[in-house]
Amino acid sequence: MRQKELRLITTFHTTADALACERACKEQGFSGRIIPVPRQLSAGCGLAWSCEPGKEEEFAEFLKEHGVEFDEMATILF
Amino acid sequence: MDLAKNKTTLLISGAILGLIAVILAATGNPGNMAFCIACFIRDSAGAVKLHTTATVQYFRPEIAGMLLGAFLIAVATKEYRSTAGSAPMVRFILGFIMMVGALVFLGCPLRMIIRMAAGDLNAYVGLVGFVAGIATGIVALKRGFSLGRSHETTSAAGAVLPIAWTFLFVLSLAVPALFALSESGPGSMHAPMILSLAGGLLFGIVAQRIRMCTIGGIRDLILTRNTDLFAILAGFFVIMLVGNIALDKFTVGFSGQPIAHAQHIWNFLGLYAVGFAGVLAGGCPLRQIILAGQGSSDAAVTFIGMFVGAAFCHNFGLASAAASAEAAGGPSTAGKVALIIAIAVTFVIGFMPKKK
Repeated sequence: MRQKELRLITTFHTTADALACERACKEQGFSGRIIPVPRQLSAGCGLAWSCEPGKEEEFAEFLKEHGVEFDEMATILF
Repeated sequence: MDLAKNKTTLLISGAILGLIAVILAATGNPGNMAFCIACFIRDSAGAVKLHTTATVQYFRPEIAGMLLGAFLIAVATKEYRSTAGSAPMVRFILGFIMMVGALVFLGCPLRMIIRMAAGDLNAYVGLVGFVAGIATGIVALKRGFSLGRSHETTSAAGAVLPIAWTFLFVLSLAVPALFALSESGPGSMHAPMILSLAGGLLFGIVAQRIRMCTIGGIRDLILTRNTDLFAILAGFFVIMLVGNIALDKFTVGFSGQPIAHAQHIWNFLGLYAVGFAGVLAGGCPLRQIILAGQGSSDAAVTFIGMFVGAAFCHNFGLASAAASAEAAGGPSTAGKVALIIAIAVTFVIGFMPKKK
């Protein structure tokens, strides 16, 4: 079984925003991957972005620059 | 106990839900139907006389139980969030479309799994259509499709559907003469009321905790290679398979299957519409009930779309006929035309150019 590690998880209001985030990250070489929203963060069944922790401000700025609105960011074991 | 702790607990949770379906099928629910969301919404629409097809009228306790179960567990775990405002009328249409597709196939995606586990090969044809529909929906999502975000709204709004539906259910017990009840056909076949209600409650609670979604399971597999939601479906399938074999209800074939037809193209297209519309609406018919129970007015509107859609399908002769010894069954001409229009409308919704 995969070892859980601390990850910065970003959730979005819509699936389209999550996929727009993925597209922007891939284009700009921002590491991370798309995942289903972890259950402890939301009762929805949408998508979230998982990346290395400790980059909250930088990532928020990155998303803003690319016009992607996010819901919340949290660093959790995932 | 955290049912969603890991894949094993998710698999077991899916198996628990499968067990509920097996028990309800063994105690009276129709063959290979057991726990079909579309069929049960359709029966409930008939019970309140939104349609008058005499064989499919019964206010199914399972639906009331699921809505109430999801509502109560969401409140208890502080996951109840009253939200609304994400393109409600488009969601109504998508709910309507899901019901048209489901009633052409003769079952929702959950019943597709139930039928697959009973050896009904028509359901495997439906599965191919379902996956193709989900894939089409994913393409629309990748092209930027969105119904817009929902917003927090007054706390009571999210409770309207669970409470109103519970009231209707209690009314159906207190004053049964107000409701229609089938004397023959699928609507007349049901498990004892208390068992159906308890099964529905437990189903709603567990499905809310583990975020069960037949569309989400396949969508996540395609988009993220994540198998969490798929594990639930696998657990559900396996226990249904074991149950069917144990109860001697496992028969492999296209013909002779309970409440089914072997019109392959229409089985494919029926679930294609459900998969496609469901991705755009953010969840399968089952998931819409759970989301409505935990406070989403948007999901509640989708549910009402399914409810009204079911009535239209029967009033306008769009629902398929089951195959029998005398007839091949399948959709009527009206049903075929309606399904093609429904798929065309879903394409318009999903691929409409966005405003810049």
